[in-house]
Amino acid sequence: MYIVYLIVYGLILTAVLGLVASWIDRKITARIQYRKGPPFFQPWIDIVKLLGKETIIPSGASKAVFIITPLLGFGSVVMVSTLLWANNNLLFNSFLGDIIVVIYLLAIPSIAIMIGGFASGNPLGRIGASREMKLLLGYELPFILAILVPIIKSGFALKLADILSFQAQNGAFALQASGILALVAAVLCIQAKLGLVPFDIAEAETEIIAGPMVEYSGAPLAVFRLTKNMLLFTLPFFLIILFLGGFNFDGIHILYSVLKYIAILLIITVIRNTNPRLRIDQAMRFFWGPVTGIAVVAVVLAVIGW
Amino acid sequence: MTREDVLKGLQERFRDDIIDLYDRSHKRVYMEIIPDALPRVAMYIFRDLGARFNIASGTDTRTHMEILYHFSLEEINLIISLRVKLDREKPAIASIAKLIIGANWIEREMYELLGIQFIGHPDLRRLLLADEWPRGVYPLRTDYEEWDKSAVRDRGV
Amino acid sequence: MSLKLRALLKSPWVFHLSTGSCNNCDIEVLDCLTPRYDIERFGMLLAPSIKHADVLLITGSCNRKSVIRLKRLYEQAPQPCLVVAIGECSMSRGMFIHSYNCPVPLDKIIPVNAYIPGCPPKPEAIIMGAVKLIQKVKGTL
Repeated sequence: MYIVYLIVYGLILTAVLGLVASWIDRKITARIQYRKGPPFFQPWIDIVKLLGKETIIPSGASKAVFIITPLLGFGSVVMVSTLLWANNNLLFNSFLGDIIVVIYLLAIPSIAIMIGGFASGNPLGRIGASREMKLLLGYELPFILAILVPIIKSGFALKLADILSFQAQNGAFALQASGILALVAAVLCIQAKLGLVPFDIAEAETEIIAGPMVEYSGAPLAVFRLTKNMLLFTLPFFLIILFLGGFNFDGIHILYSVLKYIAILLIITVIRNTNPRLRIDQAMRFFWGPVTGIAVVAVVLAVIGW
Repeated sequence: MTREDVLKGLQERFRDDIIDLYDRSHKRVYMEIIPDALPRVAMYIFRDLGARFNIASGTDTRTHMEILYHFSLEEINLIISLRVKLDREKPAIASIAKLIIGANWIEREMYELLGIQFIGHPDLRRLLLADEWPRGVYPLRTDYEEWDKSAVRDRGV
Repeated sequence: MSLKLRALLKSPWVFHLSTGSCNNCDIEVLDCLTPRYDIERFGMLLAPSIKHADVLLITGSCNRKSVIRLKRLYEQAPQPCLVVAIGECSMSRGMFIHSYNCPVPLDKIIPVNAYIPGCPPKPEAIIMGAVKLIQKVKGTL
C-alpha cells in the first residue's frame, strides 16, 4: 500500500502537476510581458530533450558526488510529497513529529544544489553555492516561525493529520489574524526556497552564468529541473495543508481546492514578475528584519489566542 | 580664457618648437611640433591649460610616419591636435605614458601595429595581436605582406 | 526520426557567441528574444551556460584570439548541437576578407548547419533561418 502511494502519488502525480504548474507560471509570465508563451507540453519536452543529451563531467569535479547529488534532491522531494499526500487523504496514521521530518526534508533540495555547485570545481559554481548557503540561513528562521503558528493554534499537535482535522472542525487558520500574517511570511520564504525572483540570487543568470548549475548537462540537469518543478507543486501544497485546510475531494470542494492552489501559484508568479533581483546582503537583511518581525508577531498573536 | 588667448599663449611660449599652426575651424586646431618638444608641449596643454587627453592616432604615409595627439579643452569647445612627423625607417619618440597615464595603452597599440618605439614607456608589450603573430611584422604599415600561408582569401565560389 | 532529435527541435536552447563582431548582429539576435518577436513560443530559451546549449548562434568574423575560445566552447557543448552562422561576417567574413586578423571563415573551423545572410539580418530573417534549420534537420526541406 505504501509503495503504491510512493510511486503513484509521490512521484507520478506530483511530477505531472509540477510540470503543469511550471507551464502555468511561464504562460502567465509571458502574458504579463504582452507576448504569447510556450505551448502546453513545453516543460515535458524540455525534460525529454535534456535526457537525450550527452553528460559532460568536467575533469576538476569530484565525479561520484557530481552525479549522485541531483538524485538526493529528487528523492527528498518525492518523499515529502508522499508524506503530504498520505496525510491529506488521511490514509494511515501520521506519526508524531512528521511535520519536523517534512521541514528537514525540505531543506535537502537546497543542500543538493549547494553540494552540486561545490562539486563541479568551477569558481562560478562555488560562488553560486555559497550564495545559496547564505540564502538558506536567511529564510529558514522565519519559515520555521511561520510553521510554528498552526502548531500552536491546533493545540500543540505535531501531527499533520491533527492540524488538518482541527481545521476541518474550526475553519481554516488563514481566516484569523495570526494565520494571515504567518501565511504572508511563509509565502515570502517559499519564493526564496524555489529560487524565483526577487530571490534567485543563487542562479543569477546575468551575473554568474547559472550559478551552481554551470557544469551540469544532460540527465543530471534534467533531474535538477524536475526537482525544481516538483517543488513548485509541493511547497504551496504544504502551505495549503497548514493554513488553508488541505485539499478536499468530495463534491463542490474540489473547485475550492483547485482555487486555493491557483491562488498561491498566482501570488508567487506575480511577485516574480514585478520585482527586480535583490543582492544577497539585502535579501538577508530582508529576511532577518521585516519577515522575521511579521512571523514573531504572528506567533505572539497565536499564543494569545487570536 | 578664450580661444585666441590659448593659441597666442601657445605660440609665444613654444616659439621655437612649433613648425606650423593650422587653424582648421573654430573647433579644431592642428599644431605641428618637432618630436623632441612633445613632452614639454603635451604637459603644458595637459596640466597648465587643464585639457583632457582624448586619444592618439598614428598613420603611415608613404614618406614618413605621423602621430597625432588629440587634447580637448571643453570649456571653450576646442580640440588641439599635436602632429609629430617621424622617420619611416626607425620611428622613435619619447613616451608620455608616465606623465599622462591615459596614454599607456594607445602607445602600446601603436608600437605593435605600426612599429613605433616609445622611449621611456614603463611596460611596452603587445596588446591586441594574438600570441602567434610573429615579431617585427607590423600590419598597419603600407608595405605589409601576408605571412600566413594557411589563410583563405577567396570566397569559395 | 528519433525521439531525441524530435525533442531537440521542439525545445532548442540557444547560446549566443560573438567572435569579434561590430555588435549589430548581436542586437538583432537580442531583438528576437524581446516580446515583439517572442521566440519562447517555439520553446527557445537563452541558455546561460554552454553546457545547457543546443544551438550555437555565432556572429562576427573570427579573429585569431577568439578562434581559440570558440574551439574550446564548441568542444564543451554537449552533442547533439547545431551551429548557426548569423550575418555576413560569420558566413564569409564579408568586407573583412582581406583583413590581417581574420585568416579563415567560420565553416573551416567548426561545422555549420545553417547560414543566415544579412548585415545585419532582420529578426524576421533570423526566425526564418531557424524554421529552415528545423525543416532541414527533419528532412522535409
